[in-house]
Amino acid sequence: MRRFITLRGFTMKERLTLAGGRLLLIGLWGAAWEVAAASGALPRGLIGQPSEFLLDFFKLVVDGTFPAAALITLEAVFIAFVLGAILALLTALLMTAFPMAERLAAPIIDALNALPRVALIPLFILWFGIGTEQKVASGVSIMYFVLLSYTMAGAKSTDPDHLRLARSLAIPGWRTFLEIIVPSALPAIFAGLRLGMIYTVLGVITAELIAGGKGLGTLVSYYSNTFNPNGVFATLIALVLITIALTATMSRIERSIAKWHAPIAV
Amino acid sequence: MGPEPTPEGIHIRGLSHEYVRGDESVEALRDVALEIPAGQFVSLVGASGCGKTTLLDILSGLLDVQTGAVRLAGRPPRAGRRDTARMFARDALLPWKSAFANVDFALATRVGDAAERASQVERLLESVGLGEFKQALPSELSQGMRQRVALARTFSLRSRFIMLDEPFGALDALTKINLQDRLVELWEQVSASTVVLVTHDLAEAAALSDRVIVMSPRPGRIVADVAIGLPRPRNVRALHATDGFQKLVAGLWETLDSAS
Ligand SMILES: Nc1ncnc2c1ncn2[C@@H]1O[C@H](COP(=O)(O)OP(=O)(O)OP(=O)(O)O)[C@@H](O)[C@H]1O
Ligand SMILES: [Mg+2]
Repeated sequence: MRRFITLRGFTMKERLTLAGGRLLLIGLWGAAWEVAAASGALPRGLIGQPSEFLLDFFKLVVDGTFPAAALITLEAVFIAFVLGAILALLTALLMTAFPMAERLAAPIIDALNALPRVALIPLFILWFGIGTEQKVASGVSIMYFVLLSYTMAGAKSTDPDHLRLARSLAIPGWRTFLEIIVPSALPAIFAGLRLGMIYTVLGVITAELIAGGKGLGTLVSYYSNTFNPNGVFATLIALVLITIALTATMSRIERSIAKWHAPIAV
Repeated sequence: MGPEPTPEGIHIRGLSHEYVRGDESVEALRDVALEIPAGQFVSLVGASGCGKTTLLDILSGLLDVQTGAVRLAGRPPRAGRRDTARMFARDALLPWKSAFANVDFALATRVGDAAERASQVERLLESVGLGEFKQALPSELSQGMRQRVALARTFSLRSRFIMLDEPFGALDALTKINLQDRLVELWEQVSASTVVLVTHDLAEAAALSDRVIVMSPRPGRIVADVAIGLPRPRNVRALHATDGFQKLVAGLWETLDSAS
């Protein structure tokens, strides 16, 4: 049967109009920036100049600087994302199976989550050195809590009538978990994965900013320490593109799995 | 002495129920006594909050009996009893399962053979007019269609005791009458079953039931027990057109008014 409700709810024409509008906005902003920098109305040495950092961006892509740095950053992001996700989902599984465990751990987890993770990075450097491990630790320390809180909220959002239905049908507990609680939590889990992805990038970049190394975060601090705002902006473009690509991939996977549910906005 | 206990039906005596939360408690049911012979279709009506859902929850074993005695076919209620089926106030369909899979999910607890089950599910969905929507997700169905899936799911179990909580509460008048006729058909197909239907709609209670039980506002007690002598098989739409039926409903209104 054909699906007669489109979840995204926009026609092709509306989408084109929206995309055009966005391009126009960015274009206007860039043009104003360009004029301000080129005319000297604002100090070019501080704010950079769009025509130049766009050119820098392409140069740094072509000469292999960005691809190499991106690979290093992405390696840490990938490991932190997967590790954080596994740990968070395992914790959530435990907490759902043993509500006592949740009551025990919830205040501790909240307290840890309230900690500014940036402040932990010096500790991670002390423990793991300045290589990939400390970046992973920084990423995991954020990813874990984001996904854990979304997953727990999702599990608790299970419709009580669905649980009552399962009881009245004498469905065993493990099947209720797999066939009712997990699917109920899935939209929230995906929202947590999408948001967690963005925060993992943030955690890894922050670690690179502080500890150095060879990733994109290090490039940001390098360009800014050498008074090269165009280099900073070129690197930021690379970061934005990478994050957009990562979250778009997540959304694509989400739409193919959780078809019954419009994605939860984060 | 009250009426004779009915060994094959539902027996309720001295049933009271109180919800306790912290220091506060709400008395939901007070000293309810009711005998429902096997095969009877009974409606439960009463003001909102008078304990109708509470009573259904107790009968389906989702709430424990606090005071009093309850027997279904001589045995105390228990969630998951194979001879009871429960339909919830909202459809309670699993949104990630198709119409077919939702019915199949329930029937799988009774019928092991997948092929046999599939043909039963298909027949049921067709009988509620959803033959073409087997693979549709609940979000792709209208509220009335979802209720029909839930109805098919409930009746797929072929239970001796069927508990329905406002199955048509959220529907427009026309859809409602159509579904009431579907319900009557489904019930007449498994006519050995005893049905307890909770409803706010007195016309629905009169059209479907052998008997209408009127409850007082909270704490719920039974204040009237009205036998509905309309012959079966019934056609709800045709009933609505008759004078006798309108008088019957008006009489129920008066009973309900004097109860509160
Ligand atoms: N889980 C609960 N905790 C505390 N009080 C409850 C609970 N469920 C119901 N009650 C109270 O018990 C009373 C009876 O509730 P119940 O749901 O049985 O009423 P009802 O007759 O089904 O109402 P309605 O027609 O609105 O569905 C209500 O006053 C309600 O406030
Ligand atoms: Mg109710």
